[in-house]
Amino acid sequence: MRELTYAEALREGLRQTMESDPSVFMIGEDIGVYGGAFGVSAGLLDQFGAERIIDTPISEGATVGACIGSALTGMRPVGEIQFMDFVALGMEQLVLQAAKIRFMFGGKAKVPMVLRMPGGSGTGAAAQHSQSLEAWFVHVPGLKVVMPSNAYDAKGLLRAAIYDDNPVIFVEHKLLYKTKGDVPEEPYEVPLGQSKVVREGQHLTIVATSIMVSRALAAAEKLTQEGIEVEIVDPRTLRPLDMGPIVASVKKTGRALIVHEAPKMGGFGGEVAALIAESEAFDYLEAPIRRLAGLETPIPYNRTLEYHTVPQIETIVAEARNLAEGAY
Amino acid sequence: MAKEVIMPKFGFNQESAQIIRWLKKAGDVVEKGDPIAEVTTDKVDMEVEAPASGVLDGIRYQEGETVAVTKIIAYIRQPDEQLPEQTADLGSAPAAPKPPMPPPILTSASPPRVTPVAARMAQEHGVDLSQVMGTGPGSRVTRRDVERYLAASQEPHKVRATPAARRLSRELAIDLRAVTGSGPKGRVQGSDILTAQKTQAAPPPVAPLLPEETLEVIPLRGMRRTIAQRMQASAQQAPHITFDLSADVTAAEDFRRRANARLPEGQPRVSFTAVLAKVCAWALQHHPLMNARLHGEEIQVLAPINIGIAVALDEGLIVPVVRDVNQKSVMQIAAEIADLAKRAHTGALRPDDVTGGTFTISNLGMFGVERFTAIINPPETAILAVGRAKKQVIVGEDDEILIRPIAQLTLSADHRVVDGAIVARFLNDLHVGLEQIDTLLM
Repeated sequence: MRELTYAEALREGLRQTMESDPSVFMIGEDIGVYGGAFGVSAGLLDQFGAERIIDTPISEGATVGACIGSALTGMRPVGEIQFMDFVALGMEQLVLQAAKIRFMFGGKAKVPMVLRMPGGSGTGAAAQHSQSLEAWFVHVPGLKVVMPSNAYDAKGLLRAAIYDDNPVIFVEHKLLYKTKGDVPEEPYEVPLGQSKVVREGQHLTIVATSIMVSRALAAAEKLTQEGIEVEIVDPRTLRPLDMGPIVASVKKTGRALIVHEAPKMGGFGGEVAALIAESEAFDYLEAPIRRLAGLETPIPYNRTLEYHTVPQIETIVAEARNLAEGAY
Repeated sequence: MAKEVIMPKFGFNQESAQIIRWLKKAGDVVEKGDPIAEVTTDKVDMEVEAPASGVLDGIRYQEGETVAVTKIIAYIRQPDEQLPEQTADLGSAPAAPKPPMPPPILTSASPPRVTPVAARMAQEHGVDLSQVMGTGPGSRVTRRDVERYLAASQEPHKVRATPAARRLSRELAIDLRAVTGSGPKGRVQGSDILTAQKTQAAPPPVAPLLPEETLEVIPLRGMRRTIAQRMQASAQQAPHITFDLSADVTAAEDFRRRANARLPEGQPRVSFTAVLAKVCAWALQHHPLMNARLHGEEIQVLAPINIGIAVALDEGLIVPVVRDVNQKSVMQIAAEIADLAKRAHTGALRPDDVTGGTFTISNLGMFGVERFTAIINPPETAILAVGRAKKQVIVGEDDEILIRPIAQLTLSADHRVVDGAIVARFLNDLHVGLEQIDTLLM
């Protein structure tokens, strides 16, 4: 199959949706002539014009507000936040308006918007441009949260997010943009709210999100040489979360490790751990549920420190080995 | 008024004694001075005598139980007398269940000191305060001690197990407490339950000792238990170094014969052991470290030279002690050994007869044993194992061939206290003393 990068897959998904559906448009900072901070919308201005590829002033409030307003009138806007960190400036509109409107109007109004934003560290962009803030949105009923971990899912989930009638927070990862994967040319949807077992194994379950999925896969290849077979589940959609494959996997392996880049305290992993503990998988646990996550610190600018702040392949290998071999 | 029978204190350092058997049962008529129970301390077996004439009643402890000295163990009442209620006969009632895992036990002669709040808590929870280790001032039992005791008695019910192990134990009806955990800190894993199930399902493995193959079951108690504990402790704690010595005992035997020829009427004959004890005492005087004991972080070099003489009884080994051997004549030593051995065989040794030793001699020569090694009798530093003196062909000073009685002596010493060179010098003196016994007069 044809290979595309994660950024190319997103662009293709956007192009195909915009070509077939005039209600879809993009809005954000520097997405037009500049093609977006990470080049996702490169070339789209030439094809669709400034009316559908709308550059905004440096105002996340304007982007989010315009998305909500246009969505209410029947459009399907795709907003882009240049760095996930800056979504804080659009938070009031997202959490108090976008998430609530459909419920407060008894279903008579809906907000079918997508807000794309790159999160994550690894580019030396320091504390204000490197965060993984997905847990903020996972905590808000009325929002959906998607975190594609590969090019195929990125294209398919984006289309599903655009055609979902609820506000969807679409969290991309800066380091994933240039990673390649098999991507079909034709338009397709990866349904929201479906976890996926991306690797099968019987000794240990790793639940990983975003870039941690590829790191977990690399770790699993190393562990398999030691005789440890890791099963990896990628939730893909954090809210609504599909616990089925996770529970089934933990019932099979008896051991669960949750890996994400965001700090552990208050992170999404705590929610997964709690849901496992509340589920029927509890009776199959052979060890405490463990989490491997970012350190409790802002991401440092220093590249070495930045590297060691979040889970890497070798730390996943070590933690998974400990858990599989009964250290906990 | 019923007379209390208390657990007597036979020795200065004795804190408790174990009841081996009741010689009389509740309801038996006894005379004052009658032995009513056989008890054992960690040194000797003794009898408890009736303190008054009357009827034995209100037996408070079963055979096998260990009782602190001065505790009431029973009553002697008059035939028409009723025992007060709180002295109800426990001997006929089933023994109260013991806590499954008792915490460190403090046996003490006096009632435990206890704070008022701890006493109240103990009463509320039915805790026997004598079972609680006191950590307050003057070993007073505090509220925390009672709480810890209560927590400890709950502990056995809690088992570390994974949720999976718990589910499997429910499903397969396997008691978690009976399963050995292989997880961290002994946590029971699911696989442990499955293993346990296989073991239970499989035909029982051939036990090393089937009941029908057992000729006799001997409970480990009394003297046997004491020997087992002390020898195990010594073998495990004291690093033993052993040395062999062949001694020509011609001179010692000659000396013994001459001594026996001069023996006053009725005096026990001088044995080789007595001569050896005298020579050992002389050598110990010159090597005080061999006459020492390790006590905590100190080596205590001892002034008296008290030599224990191992005596084999049917029930086991006992080591009566001859005191101040260095100050006594061989005849005196022989007389004392004879007396001690006789009393050992009749069970008439007093606790003081078997305590205070600083060195031990174990002579198995009379059994034909040529050579053996002995385990140090703690807290002593060394023990001499003596084999049979056997005629052997040896080469003399001037290359002549001689036939001489040679005894094999094997000394075990505690390497924590002494090094090889010290033991070697001691053995050299022992050798000289035995072969040239008049050296002792120099």
